[in-house]
Amino acid sequence: MVTRTGSARTARTARRLNAPRPALVEAQAGGIPRKVNRQSVAAVREEWRVVDRWWTDDPIARRYFDVVLETGENTVVYRDDENGSWFTQRA
Amino acid sequence: MIAAVVIPAFDLRAALRLKPGLQTKPVALAPLPGKEQLVGSVTAAAQAAGVRPGMRLGEALALCPTLELVEQDPATAEQSWEEILRRLEDAGFAVEPVEPGTVYFETKGVERLYGGLEPALKRALAAVGSVWDAQAGAADRRFAALAAANVARPGQALVVSDDRTRTFLAPLPLTLLPLEHERYAQLEELGVKTIGQLAGLPGGAVAERLGPAGRRAWSLARGEHDGKVAPRRPASALHETLEFPEAVANEHTLRRGLGVLVDRLLARPERAGRPPRKVAVWARLVGGASWRRTVTLREPTADPARLRAALAPKLAELPAPALKLRLEIAELAEHTGEQLELVAAEGEVMKGKLREGLRQVRAAVGAGGVSTVVEVAPWSRVPEARALLVPRDD
Repeated sequence: MVTRTGSARTARTARRLNAPRPALVEAQAGGIPRKVNRQSVAAVREEWRVVDRWWTDDPIARRYFDVVLETGENTVVYRDDENGSWFTQRA
Repeated sequence: MIAAVVIPAFDLRAALRLKPGLQTKPVALAPLPGKEQLVGSVTAAAQAAGVRPGMRLGEALALCPTLELVEQDPATAEQSWEEILRRLEDAGFAVEPVEPGTVYFETKGVERLYGGLEPALKRALAAVGSVWDAQAGAADRRFAALAAANVARPGQALVVSDDRTRTFLAPLPLTLLPLEHERYAQLEELGVKTIGQLAGLPGGAVAERLGPAGRRAWSLARGEHDGKVAPRRPASALHETLEFPEAVANEHTLRRGLGVLVDRLLARPERAGRPPRKVAVWARLVGGASWRRTVTLREPTADPARLRAALAPKLAELPAPALKLRLEIAELAEHTGEQLELVAAEGEVMKGKLREGLRQVRAAVGAGGVSTVVEVAPWSRVPEARALLVPRDD
């Protein structure tokens, strides 16, 4: 009998698409990012808030910023208002 | 003899080419976006501060707060490396590039051309160019030549004769051997710190403990035969460039530009009817950074629609607006024709082909390598709640 090698469980686990990744962000006094992953922010294109699941034990309160870095790269970062951490994510 | 020419931290040197003032400062290559936060190659000043390549970014910054991070510039690195290889080939060296910054060549023919081994190695170093601080080594074995190049001083060549190979290799550190990082630590725990100590162990025991890679490293450490030099066929220089009057981020415009480049490139007479096998799309971005993606076609084709279909999705990965777009043929196929199907596949036959394709992907990357995107809440305001990646087994 031939048995499958590797962990079938790991292979079959569904994953979230577009999960947030931790980011190193320096913010100005108003909470607007000044540097993202040590690169200066050239412009903030858009800003919005997402507040959801406030009725659950795992509420979501995020302040998103669509920024252009000095290298010309576009990136979206958000501050998790629940724990104060910053993340990058394709919104 | 076999010669090796090594340019230490080639990727960093290439990235610093346009910023020469940083070469004497503590600088490291920044991690790639989306990858593990590990620093890449580092300058001598950063090394003096304790920063090592592959170190965690946080640890590196803690050790050296003045450390500057430089973005990787793969297009410049690839272009510079190709220029170096061409200069070596123009000087008569039939080179086998291993990775950017490391190249082998056979010295037999060029020794006669330049009047001896050492003049030939000096000519090779001159062909590379003094700005790169290349180091050369020569020996009867590839690994010994590479080790000699690694210990030579910048701009110098070190020749190791066959009878001295084992003596030369013995005191060198294990890190010169092609082993995984964990293996070095494993060997150091066992008290094996030099190549000579590894070579002194029984081969069977090394193979049992470290597997086939360990056995190969043991064989290299003993200076055993490790293959001949296989010179590359010089790459084609077919490319077409489109410069935009202003930065373009619109994917539709970029796709139109790519279509023009595909048509222009296929019309080049140098192609002599041969279809491209490997193509690369390159862009110069706003702010000076570069971006490059290489696509190896499953079947070489000169059909513009198929080339566009293979390349266009890559444009969506452009991280910033592009000022210039270039399409290169990295490799051409040998043949000029292809066997077509009499009846185009459809229905069950097409599904069967798709299943076979998925099986090939799974075979290459393992179970879980093929997934389906399942939309679970596309209306959600939380981006990660909209879709799941579900591995498929069928």
